[in-house]
Amino acid sequence: MTLFDRVFSGSDAVFGLTEGAINNAIEQYGADKAVAFPNTAYSLPCYYGVTGTKVTSLAELKEALGVVKSLMTREQKLNDAFMSGIATALCAEFIEVLKYIDGAEPYSEPCYGHLADAVIRELGVPLVTGDIPGVAVILGKAPTADEAADLVKSYQAQGILVTLVGDVIDQCVEKGVNMGAGVRVIPLGKDVTSVIHVVSVAVRAALIFGNVTPGDAAGLMKYTMERVPAFVNAFAPLDDVIVACGAGAIALGFPVITNETENIFRVPKSLIVQEDVSKFNATSLEARDIKIKITKIDIPVAFASAFEGEIVRRKQMQVEFDGSRVDCFELVQTKEASEIEDHKIELIGPDFDEFEKGSKHSIAYIVEVAGKSMQSDFESVFERKFHSYMNCIEGVMHTGQRDMIRVRISDAAYEAGFRARHIGEVLYAKIKNDFDAVVDKCQVKVITDPELVTKLRHELAIPAFDKRDDRLKSLTDESVDVYYSCIMCQAFSPSHVCVVTPERLGLCGAVSWLDAKATNELEPTGPCQVITKEKLIDDRIGEYEDVNEAVRRFSNGALEEVSLYSIMEKPMTSCGCFECICGIEPFSNGVIIANREYAGMTPLGMTFPELASMTGGGVQTPGFMGHGKHFIASKKFMKAEGGIERIVWMPKDLKEQVAERLNATAKELYGIDNFTDMIGDETIAEDPETLLAFLTEKGHPALAMDPMM
Amino acid sequence: MPFTKKLQKFNATIRTVELGTGDKTVKLGGGNTFPFYTFDGPTANPAKIGIEISDMGLESEPDCIKAYYEGCSTVAEIAKKAASFEGVDFVVLKLEGGDPNGADKPVEDLVAVAKEVSEAIDLPLVVEGCKNVQKDADLLPKVAEALQGKNVLLLSAREEDYKNIAAAAGLAYDQLVGAESAVDINLAKQLNVLIKQLGVDLGKVVMNVGSAAAGYGFDYVISTMDRVRAAALGQADDSLLMPVITPISSETWTVKEASASEEDAPGWGPVEERGIDMEVETAVACLTCGSDAVILKHPTSIATVSKMIQALS
Repeated sequence: MTLFDRVFSGSDAVFGLTEGAINNAIEQYGADKAVAFPNTAYSLPCYYGVTGTKVTSLAELKEALGVVKSLMTREQKLNDAFMSGIATALCAEFIEVLKYIDGAEPYSEPCYGHLADAVIRELGVPLVTGDIPGVAVILGKAPTADEAADLVKSYQAQGILVTLVGDVIDQCVEKGVNMGAGVRVIPLGKDVTSVIHVVSVAVRAALIFGNVTPGDAAGLMKYTMERVPAFVNAFAPLDDVIVACGAGAIALGFPVITNETENIFRVPKSLIVQEDVSKFNATSLEARDIKIKITKIDIPVAFASAFEGEIVRRKQMQVEFDGSRVDCFELVQTKEASEIEDHKIELIGPDFDEFEKGSKHSIAYIVEVAGKSMQSDFESVFERKFHSYMNCIEGVMHTGQRDMIRVRISDAAYEAGFRARHIGEVLYAKIKNDFDAVVDKCQVKVITDPELVTKLRHELAIPAFDKRDDRLKSLTDESVDVYYSCIMCQAFSPSHVCVVTPERLGLCGAVSWLDAKATNELEPTGPCQVITKEKLIDDRIGEYEDVNEAVRRFSNGALEEVSLYSIMEKPMTSCGCFECICGIEPFSNGVIIANREYAGMTPLGMTFPELASMTGGGVQTPGFMGHGKHFIASKKFMKAEGGIERIVWMPKDLKEQVAERLNATAKELYGIDNFTDMIGDETIAEDPETLLAFLTEKGHPALAMDPMM
Repeated sequence: MPFTKKLQKFNATIRTVELGTGDKTVKLGGGNTFPFYTFDGPTANPAKIGIEISDMGLESEPDCIKAYYEGCSTVAEIAKKAASFEGVDFVVLKLEGGDPNGADKPVEDLVAVAKEVSEAIDLPLVVEGCKNVQKDADLLPKVAEALQGKNVLLLSAREEDYKNIAAAAGLAYDQLVGAESAVDINLAKQLNVLIKQLGVDLGKVVMNVGSAAAGYGFDYVISTMDRVRAAALGQADDSLLMPVITPISSETWTVKEASASEEDAPGWGPVEERGIDMEVETAVACLTCGSDAVILKHPTSIATVSKMIQALS
């Protein structure tokens, strides 16, 4: 017997029962007898939602049954099984509504049966906001009453709304589980048909909250699939009727998780066999993509940004991990979902108790994450947050990054009970909360075994860091498909738009292309939006039709056209946050660069603030441009005008900061050795004449180039 | 050379949002010209004025306001009186008593006040929360539930609590959503996009893009409103095409120009006149920059601003 056959057979059985029940009712009450659920404006909500027809009397119910029959096609195809599943659900609704004839109250404590519209409006809001992260439908009889109670309580603790159908209700009563709408555990009824009352909730949610038109069955199923995070836990044994109901649930987008192993057919993401009932919770959440918000971090000390600047001095130090003396590292790694057990915190090696007070040791913490939208490019973005996460722990100090970290734990934190695993708790909670858009599962390994740390540092961490650096080096404007906007500064510079490319980071120096990409992924409506680059206008100055279009849109029409690589033609605007300003120096055909920290005079006769006043504000000032420090060594640095060869002057400090990378670029592009030696600084010249003499003496290449204007 | 008039035509129109029910319904928005640019086209719906009252009664009102409500002992009576002043299009009930740092009234009490007020008046009602994010997230959904069928506007859904408030008002209980952002066109836009993603019909959203008293960082407010309206009409930006409502009185009556006593500021003239002046100046500037509705509280200010709207629309 195939799964389809089981669905069809269950569906036929329920249909037969329904037909009999309706005929009996007509015989008993007459065809004109009114049928209705109490306290709803949606008639028989499921039937109304699927067909758009309201049923008010037994005669109409009988007619409706004919419509239901037409859904029950019998080809061995998925759609036929789904529609038969829906038909089964509708039959269940018909059977249930018969119970309410003559204003009867067929359900009594603790069972609810049909739920009023008011309940749905009330539950709907937290469902939309995510305060109720999911809806569990538990059906049948758990292997033991304890397992039933544990499962219900596990959902309850996560804020998930639980509905119960069948013997599981008695099991929960037996174990004294607190039930009722107020505590989000709603026993519906003992008959399997009472499951329709939760389906009715989902359908009415779609009609009320989703503005789905009654009768738009496809729209209805799309809504329940995308917006109603429900799932079914069905206990063995499953008869054909339950299997048919399950098909209906799956049609609505609700996966079914069962411990039935006999005569069952596994369907990935939809019909899942989990023999261990204690794992129903984790399996269900994963199948339905439900993420639980962590509201409290389970550590014995406080966690707040107030502690971020706290310093742990040697005297108050319980233990120290120092990457400059012994092997230490911190690392984020992307894994497959199956390799990760969510919230697993593992300590490998001795705990803090075994360390002498004031001693120095090795430590490594590896945060392993998995998620459908996770990309390995985000690893470094997460990792950079570790510094802040660790420092926010009361009594913990953290400096450095990668394999050059130093962590101190204060004696007060230690005495309060802070141990190695708590580092894992903090990292887990923060990563899951801050990056919930991309992280589905996360586990943390804290390693204090010195030999293992050394081994992993060389075999795992350093190769991972090298790979990332290689990736960064290989990222060029040509090698990526999209750029990103950044309009974070528009609050005070309304018309400015940064176009962030791999080789041109944001002018503030804080937003690289990878950062922008991560920001976009994490906050899709936020300041960093995708900009395509498919319609090239001019390769020389880096102008694209789609980039112009984006700039026009993001500047609300203030900016029309922008080039990525020119300082003279349509240069990119500046907000005011620039790390550096580059301006043309007409005597030498070159440009000078001043950084924000430089307080002195430049050969242009203007200080940094004076230059800033004419460069910022989101306007295009040909000849002047704000940019990040990192951009100075880029091959795209004013490429249209000849590139870095034009740089004739920089403050000494800045020159030293960028020398290594700048010299490498100059060597690669022009074959010039030690290019920075040809560039003037304030110790050489603060006026154009002296500068020109210096450049002439050094044979600076800019002198031989065409004038820029 | 003869003067040829050139009309500035936009391809976009601000959405019309109807507030309230029955024949007292007011229409906000609907324009496709800059404010009062009647030479470019007729005014679709003249700007509207709301009068602000509080669940705390008259307790903290200046004397000049108290005088207008003489004999009123309940909030419902105050509301009735407020609705009767010339130029008032709708009533704004501020539930400031809910503030946990103030009177911290329980949600049920505040909902009861809102119900009383809505039953006492036939003008449309706007209900403003207490500005505390947590409290408003509890309070405003309950207000939305209690006032079903009244088509009230709830102020405000903000970035921190928009989910609860917009879902309750816009989805569950069929009311209007006020989307409040802090003087930044991108934040305004983002909030509208987020509210839309919840499934709320943007035709039920009114924006409060931030406000301030004239002279108090007001240039930011003006420039934001200006740019919001320019982007909405000029670029047909769907996420900015909603009408704008701006609370004025809550900003202007606390600044020193309006509150300093005549003893403390002898050269400044009568305190009541100063209060009215601040309110009128701020309101008029907001209206000319794109507000489709303003919230005031002094009857003289309301009459004055109403007169200006009639004359220029």
